[in-house]
Amino acid sequence: MRALLKMERPAWLLAAAALVVLVVINGLVQKGFFAPMVLQSNLTTFLPLVLVAIGQTYVILAGDIDLSVGAVAALVNVITVSVMAALGGSAGAIAAGMAAGILVAVACGLLNGLLIAVLRLQPMVTTFGTGIIFSALALWVLPQAGLVVPDAYWSTYGGAILDVPTVLWILLLAGLFVFVLARLPFQSWLKAVGGNRSGAFQSGLPLTGIRIKAFVLSAIFAGLAALCLTGETATGDPLMGQSLGMGSISAVALGGTLLSGGVGGAMGSILGALLLGMIGNVIYFAGLPYEYQTLVQGLIVLAALAGGVVLARR
Amino acid sequence: MQSKWFIAAVTATALGTVATGACADTFKIGLSNGWVGSEWRTQMIEEAQAAAAAWADEGTTVEVVVQSANVDAQGQIGQVRNFINQGVDAIIINANSPTAFSPIFAQAAARGILVIATDAEVSSQDAIYVGIDHKEWAMQSAKWLAETLEGKGNIVAINGVAGHPANEMRVAGYREVFAEYPDIHVLNEANANWDQAQGQQVMQNLLATYPDLQGVWVQDGMAAGAWRAIMAAEKKDDIAATGEIRKDFMTVWSEENLTSGASVNPPGVMASALNVAVLKLQGREFKDDIFTGTYGNAIYLPIPFVSNENLAEKLSEAEGKPGYWSVTAAISPEEAAAFFK
Repeated sequence: MRALLKMERPAWLLAAAALVVLVVINGLVQKGFFAPMVLQSNLTTFLPLVLVAIGQTYVILAGDIDLSVGAVAALVNVITVSVMAALGGSAGAIAAGMAAGILVAVACGLLNGLLIAVLRLQPMVTTFGTGIIFSALALWVLPQAGLVVPDAYWSTYGGAILDVPTVLWILLLAGLFVFVLARLPFQSWLKAVGGNRSGAFQSGLPLTGIRIKAFVLSAIFAGLAALCLTGETATGDPLMGQSLGMGSISAVALGGTLLSGGVGGAMGSILGALLLGMIGNVIYFAGLPYEYQTLVQGLIVLAALAGGVVLARR
Repeated sequence: MQSKWFIAAVTATALGTVATGACADTFKIGLSNGWVGSEWRTQMIEEAQAAAAAWADEGTTVEVVVQSANVDAQGQIGQVRNFINQGVDAIIINANSPTAFSPIFAQAAARGILVIATDAEVSSQDAIYVGIDHKEWAMQSAKWLAETLEGKGNIVAINGVAGHPANEMRVAGYREVFAEYPDIHVLNEANANWDQAQGQQVMQNLLATYPDLQGVWVQDGMAAGAWRAIMAAEKKDDIAATGEIRKDFMTVWSEENLTSGASVNPPGVMASALNVAVLKLQGREFKDDIFTGTYGNAIYLPIPFVSNENLAEKLSEAEGKPGYWSVTAAISPEEAAAFFK
């Protein structure tokens, strides 16, 4: 019976429950939390981490890890902004800048994937190293924060399309992607590669290709997060996105995905990322003295992670 | 269940409205700090809190809410969003990026929130800057060094983080000054990332490379490290170098009788910005042509200077303070009133 319950309980249930609790608490401590403007503002803050966490999930499902996502975001940000600035502010320039940014992200993901899946380098050390290289490239492209993106770009991002906030569209589309991918064979392959690598190999799965695709997906989502950050800041900053690496891994773990690979899903990571953001909000609006805010935030994240592990072990 | 929360939320909103409406001379000001790596920042926030409390004597209640954590620019934008959602009257920010805040500051301004940047300038035209001019800060100590060396000698410079806006302004400042002295030769310009230990290491290397050195221009806390290297090399009587403004260093400076001088970036800049903010919130208008600087939105504050002449006086001010205490200064509400019509 207990085994059956465990089978039926989705991994992200704990994150969902915790999120509901935090939303209720936040609603109590912050007047006007449910006002549409405030919800949109919060979503704008959380969205980059949500996107990076989705991509990170696929890498982790395959038993790897990607520490370079923050640096990829910084590099995509400066490339996108530089291309837009070089081509002038037209709609074509905006499209070209976004395309250039995503292409660079794909290249970053391919490099990570080739080094790790083909050359068999250790993923944590490798992505730490490539992350340093991507950060250095970002500094080389744009040595000092600056440049301005066209008004149309950031006002669209901060505004609404068909009366629905753009950030909500992005979240819905990301959720749809996660939903569809979870029903394709690819996600089962990822889990097989992460959960039982030698078994996956023996059953004839193309391991190398699957792992490379996961790293490319992760980099693309880091690139999308960078496009969001660009919309939020309307500028290029080579030091942007530094918190996304560890933040995304925490979000994935909070969402019920095992860091050892093979078990979990990106829907949980979306909840995990929203949860991380809400923890910060609740602590602030609860009126804790600022000296203790970081400490309490760390304790709550640790408790949430530990709670998930303990429940999973039962 | 849901209706209960709804009632609670409505009650809270209603109570909030009553509270803000009841007393007109109550202002809520958000203080945002995006880096907690030095005691200087802690002192900056504490002085601003004290300045806010002092307004009570004038019959104005200034409530401050603080967000201070190590965050990147995006995280600090989150801090600003929280302030906006909370409905503060003004935001005072030591910003992590000169440009990344323009859209969020525009949103704040659209809701009638006053935004003042301090310590680090921002490009946004929806914000004003109240703080020191970092270029002028560097020029003062460079001038001191050039005059102490009587206009001739070999010097080196040790800077902070390459590419950081404040660092670039400072480098531009000392270069401009030293260019006016043809017999002063800048042999090397190194970066030590505003880190005391790195400052010491870089100074050791420079001393080994250039035996015939008369002067050192070095920024902030790195000066304590650089001076430690100079003293270890037993060259403290042959070299003049810029210093810094923490009590620990000034004590060494005095005991070892060093030839030093230091421009002061006072941690009180945020308190000064707060006094300006309160006056503006009270409905006063800025004088015309008060704003200067690269972005045309800056009010520059005076920059105190510590040299061998006034070192004893500054040390007596530091009496009873902890070793990390920095020499400080803030403009009072009366002085801030000079910026207004």
